[in-house]
Amino acid sequence: MPGVTISGLTKRYGDVAAVEGLDLVVAPGELVALLGPSGCGKTTTLRLVAGFLVPEAGEIRVGDRCLSSASSVVPPEHRKMAMIFQSYALWPHMTVAQNVAYGLRVGRRVAKPERERRVREILKAVQLAGFERRYPGELSGGQQQRVAVARALVVEPEILLLDEPLSNLDANLREEMRFEIRRLHEAFGITTLYVTHDQAEAMVISDRIAVLDRGRVVQVGTAADLFERPRTRFVAQFIGRTNLVEGVVAAPGVVLRGRLSLRVPAGETKPGDRVAVSIRPHTITLLADEPARPAGAEENGMRGTVRRASYLGAGVDYEVEIEDADVTLRVAAPPPARLAPGARVSLAVPVEACLPLADA
Amino acid sequence: MDRSLPVWALTGALLALLILLPLGWLVALSLSGDGGAGLASYRAAFTDVQLRKALWNTVVMAFWVGLASLAIGAPMAWLTARSDLPGKRTIRALMLASFVTPPFLGAFAWVMLAGPNAGLLNKLYRDLTGAQDPLMNIFSMTGLVFAVTLYTFPYVFIMIANTLELIASDLEEAAAILGARRFTVAVTVTLPMVAPAIASGFILAVLQALALFGSPAILALPAGFHTITTQIWSYFQYPPKLELAAAASMPLLVATALLLYLQRRLLGRRGYASVGGKTGQRRAVSLGPWRWPAFLGCLAVMTCSIFLPYGVLARAALSRAWAQPLSWDNLTLGNVWFTFWQYSATRSAIVNTLELGVMTATVGAVMAALLAYTVNRRLVPGSQVLPFLVLAPVVIPGVVLAVGLFIAYTRPPLLLYGTLWILFAAYLTKELPVGYSQSDATFRGVHAELEEAGRILGAGRLRVLGEITAPLARSGIIATWCFIFIGVIRELSASIILFTPNTKVMSVVIFDLKEEGQFGAIAVLGLFMLLMTFATVTLMQTLLGRDVLGVRE
Repeated sequence: MPGVTISGLTKRYGDVAAVEGLDLVVAPGELVALLGPSGCGKTTTLRLVAGFLVPEAGEIRVGDRCLSSASSVVPPEHRKMAMIFQSYALWPHMTVAQNVAYGLRVGRRVAKPERERRVREILKAVQLAGFERRYPGELSGGQQQRVAVARALVVEPEILLLDEPLSNLDANLREEMRFEIRRLHEAFGITTLYVTHDQAEAMVISDRIAVLDRGRVVQVGTAADLFERPRTRFVAQFIGRTNLVEGVVAAPGVVLRGRLSLRVPAGETKPGDRVAVSIRPHTITLLADEPARPAGAEENGMRGTVRRASYLGAGVDYEVEIEDADVTLRVAAPPPARLAPGARVSLAVPVEACLPLADA
Repeated sequence: MDRSLPVWALTGALLALLILLPLGWLVALSLSGDGGAGLASYRAAFTDVQLRKALWNTVVMAFWVGLASLAIGAPMAWLTARSDLPGKRTIRALMLASFVTPPFLGAFAWVMLAGPNAGLLNKLYRDLTGAQDPLMNIFSMTGLVFAVTLYTFPYVFIMIANTLELIASDLEEAAAILGARRFTVAVTVTLPMVAPAIASGFILAVLQALALFGSPAILALPAGFHTITTQIWSYFQYPPKLELAAAASMPLLVATALLLYLQRRLLGRRGYASVGGKTGQRRAVSLGPWRWPAFLGCLAVMTCSIFLPYGVLARAALSRAWAQPLSWDNLTLGNVWFTFWQYSATRSAIVNTLELGVMTATVGAVMAALLAYTVNRRLVPGSQVLPFLVLAPVVIPGVVLAVGLFIAYTRPPLLLYGTLWILFAAYLTKELPVGYSQSDATFRGVHAELEEAGRILGAGRLRVLGEITAPLARSGIIATWCFIFIGVIRELSASIILFTPNTKVMSVVIFDLKEEGQFGAIAVLGLFMLLMTFATVTLMQTLLGRDVLGVRE
């Protein structure tokens, strides 16, 4: 089972670079999600890997084979890959069995009895046994989705590519299929690239996530890495919700914003750097109008006024205006809603939860 | 490199040859003359009083046809699209019939109906009133405009009806809730949204009239005047004056190109014609007491366009003398016998027409499909140029195209004149735009991911084309075939210049029969042509599962 190595990959449409110098290594048997907003180049990257597009520069290697470079591109049909499309792309004029058997018949040239056996097996694996003779038009969205999965898995591809496969499903089914895809990945262990714009989906499904922005990978890591240790404000904002407090580094481990001073982990920042301090809403503790608690050595203390309180059932979402600084923080507190708008509060945030991030 | 590349490249090259060769020769020859290169031919043509008159006549005719088509087509479009008019389906079916009726057949029929002496309507009028003068004379400018309009207004109708169908009622209701009266809503909301369609419908009708050869040849020549198309045709009568014909073709070509450009510009801003999209509800406006009068009005139009002409053709086909009263003595199948068995030219013409129809439709449908596919999937670098080339013949009226082809293929290296091939080239070129538009819509409907799914599973591009794309596009391609076939079997304006005694087609034979005054045979052959047309239309409607006119139920 080979992995995928992408280096310096570049694809332009006219003057616009969809992918620019993208580097990514996918280990054998690993599932990596390409995550980013629309237009970040994630689908273009996937289609370059599939061989539908020719890169202007860079290379795509699978194992020790070079599949794509600016000078030569192996056509998609010779790549031993499979792909699941956003539209499912099931052929409406073929039955479920014909759809699933296509890759075995055309690409792998498997003999008929063997073909039929494998189609039966894979349909069982995706819980579609008995649907062989149906046409795609006669299936529900979720069933079509599973046919698409079966059609891709049955050929036992070296690499599996998925292009936002769940975006056409309704919310409940989508959640169910996330676990289903993860389960299938654990069962088959195929090296997989998974394109999505939904961070929750990426976090559930993948081993590692590559966050893409403007045609480049800005950070790669596990879901926890990205959430707890984002390297840029883009990543911090894209993975989960966060507060960003703009400020200037005054001394190692101290960021100033107006008259507000925040202690942060002393990292790579130098005095004079402009940074944004990311503070996750759930890391802030709210204390009702008590005298300002003397901040512990590991805590930042602030005072403020509640401006808005929204009861969300599982929690309460507060908007708190901080004194002495032109800053409003969102705070996620456990229920019940004890504080009304106008209430004066003090806030406490652990120093290690305040991450200074550079602009890039 | 992709092994399928030659297929796409070759199709593109063939297209270029097909279109650029005749056009190139047309321009080249118009610029050459007795005195070498120069504008001599243009000078000769445009100082010719007769040609200038023909040009003027054409402008007058086309303008009035456009206006009259608008006056008939627009209200009918609104009535069928937006009101509670009774019998909408019937009106639409008749509209389709009138749309596919060859205008020259209509013109023939109206000669029998409204010829000054023997015309049935005129005789009826004289019998009823005792008057000496005819009620109307079809051999006149007015008669010509009338007979052309009857088969041109469906273009306006389709244009406007399709646009009206796209305007959701809530756009109008939004204005009403803000206090606008019904009339104000119509003037401030509906009309501005339909305006581009109205203007472009008018242009389409004018274009149609400009390019027409049959109706002017039948109605204007006996009345003693030419239009530009008949004038160009007359340059081909012995001794042929090719340079003059080429030069005279230019204003027609330029005018067509300009008008079409204008129309595209108008429709290019279509964005606001479809605001509200397809999802919006459309509620029918109640006509109240005007329902039935409006229906009768529509019926009257369709009577002139369909019932009377078809009736008189049927009558002429089955009677010994078409102008005599209907009686058992006068009833005969002799015309059928004469047309199909005695008149020598008919049977070979039918064979020629069918051969050309099948051949052009097949080659055209395949070529249109390949081109549309190439463009849709961007298979060849520079494929964005192909639509311009393939749609270019739209601006070439049949007569002009024929002049170009005549010049191009009566000299080496391609000596096609005198064979069916030159007609084939003419029909193929003429029908490609229609075929292409049809195929383009088909391939837009086949999602590219369906093909990519086949590629990634191991099928090459040609295999995917054969196993996945072709089955999915099949009914669309067959419909394209039908469109082209219908276009070919009724073609007259290019055929009339390119035919030779051995390569006559049905429309040309009908034209010949008219010179001989064989009205019964014309009627038989005309009805035969209509029968073939309607059979094809029915096949197409079944395949597409929808109205060919594109008007939704």
